[in-house]
Amino acid sequence: MTRGLLYKAIFIICIVCFATMLILPTIGENTLQIVLSQTSTEQDLQTIKQRFPESKYKIVIKDKEVLVEGYNLNVAVMNEIKRYSGVVDAKLLPHWSEKALLAKKINLGLDLQGGSYLVLQANYHKIEEKTGKPLTNAEKNEITEQALELLRNRVDKFGVAEPSIRPKGNDAIEIQLPGVKDPESVKKAIGTTGRVEYRLVDDAYTQKANQWLKEHFAGKPLPEDQLELNKLTDTIKNAIALPDSLELLYYYERNPQTAKLFPAYPIVLEKKVALAGNDISKAWVAPDEYQQLAVHFNTTPEGAAKFAEVTGEKNHGKKLAIVIDDKVRSAPSIRVQINTGQAIIQGDFTYEEVTALARIIKEGALPVDLKIIEERTVGPTLGIDSIQSGVKAFIVGIAGIMLFMLIYYKFAGLIADIGLLLNGIFMLALLSWLGFTLTLPGIAGFILTMGMAVDANVIIYERIKEELRTGKTPRAAVAQGFERAFWAIFDSNITTLLSAFVLSQFGTGPIKGFAVTLSIGIISSMFVALYITKFIFEIITSRGSLKKLSI
Amino acid sequence: MEKIIPFIKYRFIAYAVTITLIVIFSLQTYRNGGFNWGIDFVGGIKLTVKFDQGVDTAQIRKVLTQNKISAVIQQVGKEEDNEYLISTKLASRTENVEESTKELKAVIQNNFKNIEILSIETVGPAIGDFLKKSAGKLIALSIIIMTLYLAFRFELKYSIGAIVALVHDVVLSVLFCGFAGIEINIPIVAAILTIYGYSVNDTIIIFDRVRENLQIKTKQTFIDVIDKSITQTISRTLLTALTTLFAVFALYMIGGEGLNEFASVLLFGIVIGTYSSLYIASPFVLYWEKLTLKKA
Repeated sequence: MTRGLLYKAIFIICIVCFATMLILPTIGENTLQIVLSQTSTEQDLQTIKQRFPESKYKIVIKDKEVLVEGYNLNVAVMNEIKRYSGVVDAKLLPHWSEKALLAKKINLGLDLQGGSYLVLQANYHKIEEKTGKPLTNAEKNEITEQALELLRNRVDKFGVAEPSIRPKGNDAIEIQLPGVKDPESVKKAIGTTGRVEYRLVDDAYTQKANQWLKEHFAGKPLPEDQLELNKLTDTIKNAIALPDSLELLYYYERNPQTAKLFPAYPIVLEKKVALAGNDISKAWVAPDEYQQLAVHFNTTPEGAAKFAEVTGEKNHGKKLAIVIDDKVRSAPSIRVQINTGQAIIQGDFTYEEVTALARIIKEGALPVDLKIIEERTVGPTLGIDSIQSGVKAFIVGIAGIMLFMLIYYKFAGLIADIGLLLNGIFMLALLSWLGFTLTLPGIAGFILTMGMAVDANVIIYERIKEELRTGKTPRAAVAQGFERAFWAIFDSNITTLLSAFVLSQFGTGPIKGFAVTLSIGIISSMFVALYITKFIFEIITSRGSLKKLSI
Repeated sequence: MEKIIPFIKYRFIAYAVTITLIVIFSLQTYRNGGFNWGIDFVGGIKLTVKFDQGVDTAQIRKVLTQNKISAVIQQVGKEEDNEYLISTKLASRTENVEESTKELKAVIQNNFKNIEILSIETVGPAIGDFLKKSAGKLIALSIIIMTLYLAFRFELKYSIGAIVALVHDVVLSVLFCGFAGIEINIPIVAAILTIYGYSVNDTIIIFDRVRENLQIKTKQTFIDVIDKSITQTISRTLLTALTTLFAVFALYMIGGEGLNEFASVLLFGIVIGTYSSLYIASPFVLYWEKLTLKKA
């Protein structure tokens, strides 16, 4: 073996090892941590032990904690255990390669695994109150449709691949998220309306409201319950005779102990919105001059004009409140006119809040408030029976391809089969790395690329055979075959890759899933066919004595 | 010298086959009352039903299929509750919600004992107008990019040939769904996209050989070169179709009810994709060449 070939061999071995490690969280041994309640009985422990026979699993028991190690421990098993009596919690510990290599488990989509099912109810009342007339069904449908697109974006940005989002009835939206893990952060993101407004504060009435509160509500904290707070708002409004052009909201502060927001004091704002979320063109998170995280933004040209007007000389000394979903979160005084259309939203925000805020400003607020009214888990849409037969079919199909290659191309076919297996490993590895959600369309992409993977070998082998027929030595024929086949393989794959790339821009859903698997498959199959199998042939033909090639 | 099969000579037979297929498929689609768009596209009704112990999704699906109702069945909530979501598009093309609901309810009530229908709702399509439009735009964009790449790597005439073959395959596959009355849902869209990817791949391998053979300076005509190139690559074309068909055929035979239609669309697409790269793509390169030569 020459030095060049040796380096290649080392490189290939490294890549294969790395790829294998990336798939481990999906197919390797995992650890399930089960926490038992203090009152759990010996019987409960025995049930768990029976569920995990010692011949297959390693069990470590520490007081009220049980660690189970073994294969086939997945989210489904985790959820099964959670329902056992005496079990407080069960969770899968992250695999070492998840920590070390940022590998992720391949998630199965709604069609293969099911997930959680949320129903969001739209609250049209608020809009009707504001406009003063009832909405028609057509208007409601249009609003729902808008909300749907924004939700799709938000869910997508949270890295939940392949959700199913559809309108339900006249005033609700149904969302299905793949995977059964508790989607807390996603729920938060879709439950937030994300309406950001800048509005001027009316100091005189704010003072009146606070005065009234001091006299009638002395010392007591404001109610945190929204309904009670609304009642209080109405009482104050009547007491201080608030004009129609003004609105009473509350300034929210953060409780230093619980880190929760609570209404601190009433604040009266003009109803007229000085600057709204849709006047903002770009928003990002960066520290402000006090090294506190804040949302920085650029406005649109119209927004800049509005902003310059409201921060103009006539308003200097007044306060400009930043209202997020009807909660006043900050109200700085206006000191200078801002003409550049650049500003920041400062306040007592947590990191999660600023990042979510920046993201939501960028994508726009929901046109209507949505409330989660139902939340349940759902099973796969395809049915366990279909999935099992699908897996069987997939294995039979691949086995058929491999057998055919072996019979038709003999020894060279064996090399192609090794390539096919490596290709499968590489594809799974890349999918794990991306934390991809595998669905039926994704599997279609997988099958197609498996077909294309052997295709590259077929092209090369047919070329080598042609070269051999012209009387070349095996070594020359192999070299020529690879060289001539290269551009054919390259061009056809690049064309497919280009269109797959364009399709992958398709926000979310099945088309994206299909495009991603297809792209990954093309890249890995090109690497395998043009690099790894070529390398194997180079080794075989490097012994000059080879007279005949088994192909 | 090996024997060259005169593919181009038979091109008119190929056109006849294609046109016949298009006409038959279109007519049958029309007789079926148009394309059978699924719940993902048109929406439908959704029932939450509580069943007796021991009923599973496979059983429910079997009963519904026997009654010619195609539905998505999902178990919902805790397993021991035995509650299922049954979503189906509206039964008739009249899109009457009440009638469809009545029909579905009757089928369930006649076939299962002790059921309790917890809720009946209408659901909208998962693929809304916005998604449909952006999907259309992206597919158009990807065709343009493909054309440009091929024009850059080969020549414009080859782009035309490849795109004609591509459109040919996709149109026929979609018509095939209408012909066979296959309900078009998200997985079927994926199958059609698979055909889309497969078709170009197949065509380019042949064009690559044409490009190579054109560099050998002989007195042969363009038609000869094309015939020669197709003949030289025919074993590869058929072998690849065969290996891919293995996988898809397995899916068709043992994939079960859920995957049957998906696999049949793929099966059709691969056969038609192979056929079009042999008989449709190259003649169009030829026509384009003739057309531009006349002008020049």
